[in-house]
Amino acid sequence: MKIIVTIKQVPNVTKVKWDADGSLIRAGLPTIINPVDKHAIEAALQLKEKHGGEVVVISMGPGQVESALREALCMGADQAIQLTDRKFAGADTWATSYALGCAIQKIGDYDLVISGVEAMDGNTAQVGPQMAEYLGIPLLSYALGIESDGKKVQIQQKLGEVERKIEADLPALITVEKEINEYRVTPMDKILEAFEKEIPVLEADDVDAELVHLGLKGSPTKLRKVFSPKIEKGKVQMLEGTPEEIARQVADKLNEKFLI
Amino acid sequence: MDFTLSPINKMVIKAGKDFCERIVPEIDAYMAEHGDYPPDLLEKYAKARMLGFDVPKEYGGLATTNFNLILLIEEFGKTGSTCFLPLLMNNSVAETICHWGSEEVKKKFVPPLCDGSAWATMAFTEPDTGSDPKMLTTTATPDGDDYIINGCKRFISMANKPGYGVFICKDLSLKGEAHDSTAFIIDKKSPGISCSGHYELTGLDGADTCDIYFNNVRVPKENILGKPGQGFNVLLRWISGERIQQAAGMVGVGHQAYLESKKYSMQRIVNGMPMGYMQGFYWMLGEMKVKVDACRLMVYNAVCKQDAGKNFDTASAEVKVFTTPLIQEVTRMGVQFHGSYGYSKEYLIEKLFRIAMHQGVVASSLEINKTIVGMTALMSK
Repeated sequence: MKIIVTIKQVPNVTKVKWDADGSLIRAGLPTIINPVDKHAIEAALQLKEKHGGEVVVISMGPGQVESALREALCMGADQAIQLTDRKFAGADTWATSYALGCAIQKIGDYDLVISGVEAMDGNTAQVGPQMAEYLGIPLLSYALGIESDGKKVQIQQKLGEVERKIEADLPALITVEKEINEYRVTPMDKILEAFEKEIPVLEADDVDAELVHLGLKGSPTKLRKVFSPKIEKGKVQMLEGTPEEIARQVADKLNEKFLI
Repeated sequence: MDFTLSPINKMVIKAGKDFCERIVPEIDAYMAEHGDYPPDLLEKYAKARMLGFDVPKEYGGLATTNFNLILLIEEFGKTGSTCFLPLLMNNSVAETICHWGSEEVKKKFVPPLCDGSAWATMAFTEPDTGSDPKMLTTTATPDGDDYIINGCKRFISMANKPGYGVFICKDLSLKGEAHDSTAFIIDKKSPGISCSGHYELTGLDGADTCDIYFNNVRVPKENILGKPGQGFNVLLRWISGERIQQAAGMVGVGHQAYLESKKYSMQRIVNGMPMGYMQGFYWMLGEMKVKVDACRLMVYNAVCKQDAGKNFDTASAEVKVFTTPLIQEVTRMGVQFHGSYGYSKEYLIEKLFRIAMHQGVVASSLEINKTIVGMTALMSK
């Protein structure tokens, strides 16, 4: 089973800045693999351990995305591919999905594509479904569990309070929720192996992507305004009285706020 | 010497930190409840491939450096948990067997220590000796193709766990010779072996330290590690590595004592401002940090000698002499920093203080290491 996992490197901070086009300024920020993407890698590794095959991880981003891919190799991925090109810069979710879709087609001969449901910096949950649309393969989103016999794939799908089982023929694309698994502690042997592997860097031309669909120019989403939400400082009120009186005052105040 | 960490070193630390954050709390909770290691502890280490750092791949090891191992151990030290002792033991005993053992011995005993199916032990100490091989009373009597072991070993970690231990015994076939101690690899579940209950220790919460008794325990001659008469050499070489690993853990303990104090200094408000801004306290913080950083450099220096294949016996003893009082002082300062809370089990600093105390008396005493360093200095040109 050949599984391609798409991951995103995201800033590990609570405050970020954007440039004039609304693109995130990543330089100098500490970064991590988008947390739910680690669960996607784990899901792929578990499928590989069950069915054999290989796990290929790809990520689109600036040069520093190499460290996220290296970490994916440390977890146990067989191969990592980096998509880096100035032409990708400023991409919205559609242009990102297109670029990743082109790379997946270029890798070819895959059974599954797995990604996290959404990235913690954008929270759109659009890239996975759009990749499936572009690739023309079934989408199985919000997975809490994956089963496959090598021909079909079945997931436990989370739909708010409701769960259901859905099935599709392979190849297919799955987006996973963080509850799907507990990702492994990076094994020491894989760390040592990971740093011996080459991570090929592919540019737009390498994946036969058309310029018109790439980057800021290829993005149908036009940002009007980007801002950090204001964080209001909490106010502290000290309540006085006996413990019973204080408890009643707390209950009244929670009631006022419709919290109970 | 350049101690800039490589990307591999940094990833080892990251993985160790992840293990300590996600896995160690459940291990520690088990140990607090049961006063012992979880039965599946080694499985957890094996799954994360943390056993057999300095062991060739053909015997199930990682074939990497002791430097990577001590980086990992420092992360464990920061937790204040005792759970890393079996990790150290399986690593160091596997390496020791690889160094001294015949091909047959290596093939038989090292892979189970690397895949976590066997708990390692190293035993020298007895009720009446801790450092002098001439005082050993546990005897090995030759009997055909075997030896018969009788006696008692004291304060032995993992003695009651299934697996293999290296036991240094007085070899009666060498009676009258200058070097009469021999190292035997013994299956700890052999007939004739029994153990005491656990010692209640000041720190090292949950450690399973106990006495192990040998009553006519039969061990085949091929289980001799090294050559007859080399038992004390086997011990000295092992303990040189063990001291460095122990010190790495204690650097983690000291570092965490510093971090806990720093955190507390910003939480505790005195006269309307965090107490950390008072000179007396930030001077303490500065002193704690410098001491821990210096200890870390000593550990790095010694482990680099070990990895380079140089003699590191004295360097390892120097690590013990230098780091033991400093880390103990740092944790004591941490307790003072927290005031009465520092003496309470509500705060981690209390546990860190207690665990730091073991370094002066476990894996060779501080004083015997002063002797090694001092005598080496005296005899050197």
